[in-house]
Amino acid sequence: MLTALGTAPFLLYVAVFLLLPIGVLGVEAFRATDPVTFEETWSTDSLTTITGGVYRRAYLGSLQLSLITAVLSAVLGLALAVAILRARRGLLLRRLVLTAAGVLANFGGIPLAFAFIATIGTQGVVTAMLQDTLGIGLGGFSLYSMTGLALVYLYFLIPLMVLTIIPALEALRPQWREAADNLGASGWQYWRYVGGPVLLPPVLGATMLLFASAFAAYATAKALVGSSVPLVTLQIADALSSNVVVGAENLGKALALGMIVVVGLVMAFYAWVQRRTQRWLA
Amino acid sequence: MTALAEGIAGAGGVAPETPVRSGRRGGGAWRFGVLGLLGLYFLVPIAASVWFTVRNRGTGEFTAEHYTGIPGADGFAESFTRSLVLAGLTVLIALALMVPTVVLVDLRLPRLRTTVEVLTLMPLVVPPIALVVGVRSVLSWAPDYFLDTWLAEVFFAIQEPELPWILVLMYVVLALPFVYRALDSGVRGADLRTLTEAARNLGASWPRVLVSVVLPVLRTSVLNAAFLTFALVLGEFTFANILGFETFPTWILRISGSAPQLSVAVSVLSLVVTWMLLLMISALDRRRGTKENA
Amino acid sequence: MTAVSQRTPDAALDARPGVPIRLEGLTRRYGAVVALDGLDLEIVGGEFLALLGPSGCGKTTALRAIAGFDRPDAGRVLLDGRDVTGTPANKRDTGMVFQAYSLFPNLTVAENVAFGLRVRRRSGGEQRNRAAELLELVGLADRGDRYPHQLSGGQQQRVALARALAVAPKVLLLDEPLSALDAQVRVQLREEIRRIQLELGITTVFVTHDQAEALSVADRVGVMRAGRLEQVASPDELYERPATAFVAEFVGTMNRLPATLSDGVVELLGVRRPVAGAAPSGPVEALVRPEALVVTAGGAGRVVTRTFSGASTRLLVVLPGGVEVRADLASADSQQFTPGASVSVVPAERPVLVVPQE
Repeated sequence: MLTALGTAPFLLYVAVFLLLPIGVLGVEAFRATDPVTFEETWSTDSLTTITGGVYRRAYLGSLQLSLITAVLSAVLGLALAVAILRARRGLLLRRLVLTAAGVLANFGGIPLAFAFIATIGTQGVVTAMLQDTLGIGLGGFSLYSMTGLALVYLYFLIPLMVLTIIPALEALRPQWREAADNLGASGWQYWRYVGGPVLLPPVLGATMLLFASAFAAYATAKALVGSSVPLVTLQIADALSSNVVVGAENLGKALALGMIVVVGLVMAFYAWVQRRTQRWLA
Repeated sequence: MTALAEGIAGAGGVAPETPVRSGRRGGGAWRFGVLGLLGLYFLVPIAASVWFTVRNRGTGEFTAEHYTGIPGADGFAESFTRSLVLAGLTVLIALALMVPTVVLVDLRLPRLRTTVEVLTLMPLVVPPIALVVGVRSVLSWAPDYFLDTWLAEVFFAIQEPELPWILVLMYVVLALPFVYRALDSGVRGADLRTLTEAARNLGASWPRVLVSVVLPVLRTSVLNAAFLTFALVLGEFTFANILGFETFPTWILRISGSAPQLSVAVSVLSLVVTWMLLLMISALDRRRGTKENA
Repeated sequence: MTAVSQRTPDAALDARPGVPIRLEGLTRRYGAVVALDGLDLEIVGGEFLALLGPSGCGKTTALRAIAGFDRPDAGRVLLDGRDVTGTPANKRDTGMVFQAYSLFPNLTVAENVAFGLRVRRRSGGEQRNRAAELLELVGLADRGDRYPHQLSGGQQQRVALARALAVAPKVLLLDEPLSALDAQVRVQLREEIRRIQLELGITTVFVTHDQAEALSVADRVGVMRAGRLEQVASPDELYERPATAFVAEFVGTMNRLPATLSDGVVELLGVRRPVAGAAPSGPVEALVRPEALVVTAGGAGRVVTRTFSGASTRLLVVLPGGVEVRADLASADSQQFTPGASVSVVPAERPVLVVPQE
């Protein structure tokens, strides 16, 4: 019993600095401030507001962006991971790619945005090069758009996928493949019946992590597009920095709570899929 | 929640290492395609950034002025120093909090393992911006409810712009997943139980066991956790921006309008710094590896 | 599916007894390492052959060459007289049991056993019946619904055996299937493997580094060293008449004693014995089994340790000049020989095997 007290500092810390702020969101998102009397009342106004108009578009924009980038980087990251694990003289290549992935997965935020601005921004090196040689620049592509953001997000999401999925790929025992071969299975049959089902749970888990990362990304978007692209994170920042609109703070809380609910729903879905796909581990 | 924790933890490297079957015949073309295409995608922005900063677009001349100008740039010294101090403090608090917890859970309270694991992984899925909104709400209690109490004084003190302790306290939370995983893989690999039992059996007291057995064994994991946390704090933007403090990343954004090439030069530099921090980690890992193999 | 068909095994799926295997000049190099060095081996139909040797001797490479996992650089593999050297592993119809952890973790035990039939697109009913039949054979009829991680190591290897046999392979290949198991389970399972092999009459190659395992179950044992076969013989012959010093030392315990050979007579430990086989005269090493030594009280030797193991007891004796010998004697006769006792040791009256001095 006494030893259990040893974890008290940790639990207390998490309670105060993680659970309390989240809990406060859950409560204060239901408060409203009267614009005239500044009186606080219980209200679902904020929550109603965020399900419509510009906020609804922001949620949909964020969902779309994170879903597309998560799935794309899961596929590309998996392909890259398989490619480096399969490489014949792969040890050097493998170490190189893994170190690079470690660096790039941590290379998010502001610096990343500026690297892309320097590359394919309006004054970017590649933009200028294309302009000088082909005279067309980047065509219709703009870095400061949803597509542009997606391209930038892949830059840290793919390395994140490689880092998370490599241990799972390494845990695929070569004996399984050989046993399948030995029993007459084709390569496709091996992946259909064994490799695929075994890899599915970790791949889903990693994709989910990528989704959460992309959904929560703020710095890159802030530096690149300001608030011209509808994203929840940018809307929250807008609401909080607005000193003009009374109750904007409450709106920000409602938007933040909405984000947590979205992530929670995705996690619940993930847990459900995981239980179905991982019966054999239970 | 638990399933997620296991999924992530499982993906994170407790899986035993087995040699993957190399080089099956044929079908190699797609590999080179994938490697080439992604290689290009990852290299071009870095190369372009360097080009962007060393070449004067008007005259076509090469110059290092944007790099040599960094130290003297307005606000750089303060914001960068502040970020370094914040990083150092975060590392200290995170370790002071997590080393005893991880060791205790491993040795004496395995039943709490899942709880601790889930709690430490939560910051990975809770969007930082949502968390910071909650933090802002709590901080606003000081003027709203606690005015003229000691609590309000504390609240104001931790928001001092010169050294915003609130950032340190929150960065510890953001670092929890990485610190926990680094330390956890350390205790799992070391078989602490046997080591401490042997030490206890030889008559060592608990504090002595912690200092002379546990810490040396976990040294690499501790350093690993420290470097990751350090890198995380140096690059953190959301909290600093929303709470209105100037740190290194928010400074880059602030100057970008007036000095675009300087901001890219600083970005390139911060990539190099991250790279070096992670190289140090892998160098440490390798040293540990050879020691264990010997 | 009618109830009757359940007990009537499909003829095509029954084991095919008596398929001979022939290896001709198999050579395999990994960089500078020669794993197989022109290996020739003939295994007759229905035989249980053990390949024995220290790690790195090429025994596993030989097995993997038969299974098709390893392409030899030179030489041929013939199954049932047909050259299969170029045939991919999944077309060879061999049944292999791996060292450990080869069961598919996401499939139940029954699904694992039926896997070979599933990829051959046999009907669900046939898969179920065959799996049940094979699980019955390995004594796990009630575990079909379990997942591999719910089984013990020994049970997992039984399932792996059932899975390998389910497709009625031409030959059964066992790659150290017992090495990851506890001693007791190991003995029990090796006997069971032998029983099943005899029942089915399937040609079996069993790779192991454990000589006791090889000697106890195999019809013949091939001892390998550096990619070549040192000797292929029945267990008795291998033990009694090892062809080389390497075989003698690897199989059972062997004392190597300095001796001189002249005119067909070996002189060792102060006595003279006839030589077994032929050898050139001069200084040689005599190979003497512990049970072929006679220990008597009093003498220049000194007992160092005494190890009791049931019916027999082993003494470690140091002779003058520092030569150590191991001698086995009936436990009942050994009580007086405690550590420190003075003894004399001589070889029993029978022909002695010698090898040239190294």
